[in-house]
Amino acid sequence: MTRRIKDVDTPIPNPENIGPECLDTPNGAEEADGSQDPWVIRLRGEPEIRDAALEELREFLVRGLAKSMSHRYNACLQPDDVVQDALIKILESLDQFAGRSRFTTWAMTVAVRIGISQMRRKYFDDVSIDSLTSEDQSPMQIAIDETDDPGDQMDRQSMVETLQRLIDTTLTEKQQKAMRSNLSGMPVEVIAEKMGTNRNAIYKLVHDARIKLKRGLEQSGIQAEDIATAFA
Amino acid sequence: MSLSRKQTQDLIDSVSSAKPDELDCDGCHELMAEFAELELSGKEIPEAMQAVRRHLDQCVCCNDEYNALLEALGGIEAS
Repeated sequence: MTRRIKDVDTPIPNPENIGPECLDTPNGAEEADGSQDPWVIRLRGEPEIRDAALEELREFLVRGLAKSMSHRYNACLQPDDVVQDALIKILESLDQFAGRSRFTTWAMTVAVRIGISQMRRKYFDDVSIDSLTSEDQSPMQIAIDETDDPGDQMDRQSMVETLQRLIDTTLTEKQQKAMRSNLSGMPVEVIAEKMGTNRNAIYKLVHDARIKLKRGLEQSGIQAEDIATAFA
Repeated sequence: MSLSRKQTQDLIDSVSSAKPDELDCDGCHELMAEFAELELSGKEIPEAMQAVRRHLDQCVCCNDEYNALLEALGGIEAS
């Protein structure tokens, strides 16, 4: 059940007594949930209290985001462009704050995810999956480096042939597409958007593919450590 | 599509390190604040939280967001 401000036993702190020092107030690990954190209480408080807390939080987030957004994705967005969305998400997600970290660390985690996600999407807006991964839709092909020592090449050749066979026979077209996009450096989140799904679904798709390949190798008598060592 | 040497290496690392019970992106996000505070404080990371590290090693997006979080928190501390 969602706990609201009126359900909290402790009195609402006087806003005059809650200032930036809250930024340095960690929650104890023994705390069962985050509903009694001063920030949460203020953000669920009367409009005047809430607005003051929001302004303080906005300033805190902008300062942090300025540091982390300035050198990513050509700084295609500024903190002020994303902080409003971040504050909305934080307010919507207050119930999810479990009090296992400082409130401000949790809020910054939410803001960073929103900020970096929006930058990523903007940056990759004009890139299609096909143009990034291949000119055609051929299956994923593993090649042996011909500059390798011939002895090493022999060992690797049989492992690669097995892995290639497993890719061809056990992975779906969607799994191959997601994997090769991922290997080409396209972020999971962007692949998800371009494939019309969400980030978690793509992570799971690729994870299932990795597990299939690992099990297939083991069933073929190749342990994961062997192949990792051979290609180290 | 022919994989480059680096892509082949990444594929093999990713396959050989695959575990059935990995965290997904949302699970990692849920624990990220706590994990960041543990790392920043220099405390030992409990076994239950090691799953966050394993996910960060696999997921470019979450890893980038984690580094951005550390920079943001570090930037505030410095200012």
